[in-house]
Amino acid sequence: MIDGVLRLIGEAQGALFERMVEPALYQLGLMDWADDVFEGVGFALFGGLEIAFAYLLLRPLEWWRPVEKRPGRRPGHREARRAVRTDVVYTLVHRIGVVPAILFLVLAPIGVMVDGSLRFHGYIPRALEQLLPALRDWPFVTLLAYIVLLDLGEYWRHRLQHRLGWWWALHSLHHDQRQMTLWSDDRNHLLDDVLAAAWSGTLALLIGVAPEEYPLVLVLFRLIESLAHTNVRLGFGRLGTPLVVGPQYHRLHHAIEHARPPFEGARGCNFAVILPLWDVLFGTWRREPNFPPTGVASLAGSAISCGYLRHQFEGLRRLGAELAHLAYRGRPGFVAAFRRAAPQLSSTDGVKM
Amino acid sequence: MLCCTILALCRLSLARLFAAGLIAGAAALPALAKEAIVLNSDDDSLSTIDTQSHLETSRSYIGRQPHHLIATPDGKSLIAAMAGGNELVFIDRNTGAVEKRQEASDPYQIAFSPDGKWFVANSLRLDRIDIYDAKTYQLAHRLSALTMPSHIGFAPDSGTLYVTLQGTDRVTAIDLAAGVPRWTVPVGRQPAGVLVRPSGAILVAVMGADYIVKLAPTDGEIVGLVHTGRGAHNFLLSPDGKTLYVSNRVAGTISVLDADTLRVTATLGAPGGPDDMALSADGKELWATGRWRASVDVIDLATGALKTTIPVGRSPHGIAVN
Repeated sequence: MIDGVLRLIGEAQGALFERMVEPALYQLGLMDWADDVFEGVGFALFGGLEIAFAYLLLRPLEWWRPVEKRPGRRPGHREARRAVRTDVVYTLVHRIGVVPAILFLVLAPIGVMVDGSLRFHGYIPRALEQLLPALRDWPFVTLLAYIVLLDLGEYWRHRLQHRLGWWWALHSLHHDQRQMTLWSDDRNHLLDDVLAAAWSGTLALLIGVAPEEYPLVLVLFRLIESLAHTNVRLGFGRLGTPLVVGPQYHRLHHAIEHARPPFEGARGCNFAVILPLWDVLFGTWRREPNFPPTGVASLAGSAISCGYLRHQFEGLRRLGAELAHLAYRGRPGFVAAFRRAAPQLSSTDGVKM
Repeated sequence: MLCCTILALCRLSLARLFAAGLIAGAAALPALAKEAIVLNSDDDSLSTIDTQSHLETSRSYIGRQPHHLIATPDGKSLIAAMAGGNELVFIDRNTGAVEKRQEASDPYQIAFSPDGKWFVANSLRLDRIDIYDAKTYQLAHRLSALTMPSHIGFAPDSGTLYVTLQGTDRVTAIDLAAGVPRWTVPVGRQPAGVLVRPSGAILVAVMGADYIVKLAPTDGEIVGLVHTGRGAHNFLLSPDGKTLYVSNRVAGTISVLDADTLRVTATLGAPGGPDDMALSADGKELWATGRWRASVDVIDLATGALKTTIPVGRSPHGIAVN
């Protein structure tokens, strides 16, 4: 069945590219992009597959045991409905390939320049299977090894996103959602995506890129990331929770009080993306059974329930406020500047007040 | 997030899970005596195809981003260039055993000079041309190319290297021993394949157009132009030197030309983005990798008809027929 699915996607990719995309590239004089665009078509098709899987598998969970009731048609729910719709837009632009295409166009030339310069001076990045030749005979094991290492990298990137004020200003777009759903995983500022891609690209220069011979495995991991944001009252129990990030585990990370003691130093908890192992090792594991409300206490109203473009602009506003605070300490940082919520919560969004 | 690295965009591959081969490990290749070998650049795999039955007999993990495949000058081994794996994989042509893996930075297109003295590897992604001593594989010259150095050709006396710069409209000629450019000329959008005739004349396939050009070796002046098909990409010369095949990637055809007069004598259908080509041992079949359809087209040269299409891994590129 897997083979059949992959073959179908391959045929769709080939047909779509050959009949529609390649002739356009030829007419536009862009045939030097043919190989990359062909990959992009495949990426978009797999993105569509990810979205379909996520909706078919995770949406029923949200109907079955929601933490929060899905916003209905009543006027009082309009903002929440709009916020969820915006997350759907985020998911589409990320997984169908618009954002990745932008990232590719922006960062690939820089990556080539850096990589090329290093190689010109004799540095060839080692892939894991070159450091450990035995891995070459076990490509699936190699993939798992990469996933573990890259997940470790993502854990530390996530820590920095919470620890550095200017980065938190951008990352707060992901956290300001008070109606978290399966669509919320890709709710990120474009600049944040650029930084994430640069981070991953740098890692790739050091350890090579994860082999992608198993795209369905990668689809599975994207599904885990979507599951972690799903609005479902579901935990993995005492045994399962430390093994893989789940909805209850990640909800604690998104909690409005995610930085309350003893996690105020890290300005958050449960940073792991796939493997809770890193939270266990580095002391950021919050072990609670509850399903707290999500969001950022100082951010509410239209700033968080607006459409995609306005939300992106909102991120720039927050970043601007924080950078102004860094440049002129007399000016309030973005948390103080944007505080609107009721002050009943003592520890807000992980940034020193 | 985790799986969406910038470089992942460049490498999305479909996994044909030949369970024992790809999950458990890279099994040794079968003996290649009567096999065709295809590199599947997006699957990181190598397919072997029985040339009699036209059936794929194996598919094995070979390394990252295998693109092009050439024979060593003594004909005993094949070298597969792993652009993503930064290595050259030497394969015994008879037994299929991997003989050795030689480190090389991002080799995409590779070739030996006619005298066997030089080995050239183009790094398409990193805009670089590497010239190695063919005996020791020690780097002799490393040149920055304008952009996307692609296909390779040599002057008959091995004194000059010709490289198409696919991201531009130019071809460059490089003094092999000195490692310095001699001339660079425009030929048309996205030049790809290069073939040098015994006279020294240089043929270039222009992928952004529908023609091939003929250049004078002294200064690269265009002295001829022949229309073949949209997306003219690569060349194959018959062993007797009389027939020239040109793959037209956008048109999905292969043009057959008289190698001396460059007159188009036939146009063969080859759907799926025909790229690299090879002739069967008996010269009766033309095999072409279909980049967009994960397949190899086999054309009966007597009738010009498509004989069969063989499914292989994704984005098949280099091909060799034993």
